[in-house]
Amino acid sequence: MKKLLIMCGTGIATSTVVTGKVKSWLHEKNIQDRVILHQSKISEAIGRIDEYDIVISTTIVPNSIKHKTIDGIPLLTGVGDDTVYEKVLKKIMK
Amino acid sequence: MQIDPNLIFINLEVETKEEALGILGSQLHISGYVKEKFPESVLEREEKFPTGLHFVPYGVAIPHTDGDKVIQSQLAFASLKKPVPFMEMGNVYKNVEVSLIFMLALTTPKDQPILLQKLMEMFQDKVTMNKLVLLEETGKIMAILQEQLDYK
Repeated sequence: MKKLLIMCGTGIATSTVVTGKVKSWLHEKNIQDRVILHQSKISEAIGRIDEYDIVISTTIVPNSIKHKTIDGIPLLTGVGDDTVYEKVLKKIMK
Repeated sequence: MQIDPNLIFINLEVETKEEALGILGSQLHISGYVKEKFPESVLEREEKFPTGLHFVPYGVAIPHTDGDKVIQSQLAFASLKKPVPFMEMGNVYKNVEVSLIFMLALTTPKDQPILLQKLMEMFQDKVTMNKLVLLEETGKIMAILQEQLDYK
């Protein structure tokens, strides 16, 4: 089971949309049982970032966690989201 | 949520994003949807977590802040006479020329994803976005938003 975190600046707006989209995508792929979804604001998540296997962010992240973070803005806008889903899928299947 | 005609700004003349955010935020406060600290908080947050989004043909921004400064969920809209630069969401090094601003006053996560989701769909709909940029009547803008965002 992989722990997937979706975070944004406030934890209520953009991350909620992205969480909804990821949820439906997981069901579409029938891999919802492989993932536990978490949603948070970046200020609360940043100290516990290592607890997560996959991190998607719709906001700017500090350099220290950049390597761990997938840019989630394409999931928000729907423009170029295929590439992001591919990245996430790879991490889930790892 | 019913759209409030006092929160529709058409051909707003501003030089900077701060100016635009100030006007929208203050009106949300005057109309009683948000607390006094909301406008300032939106400005601060926009610096830390920018909300400009690059859509074709019109850049948009969806400024917002924490729900504890919101009394009742609402949306404020502005079409700008000439675009002003916002920083891009997730990328402080890139600017977006923003023509339309949708300021979100959101309370809790639960009631809002659908609104934001519908906004994102609308941003990709060039016909509707053209109308929002060009139309000059509050009633017409409200009708479009009401329909597109499926406000009940």
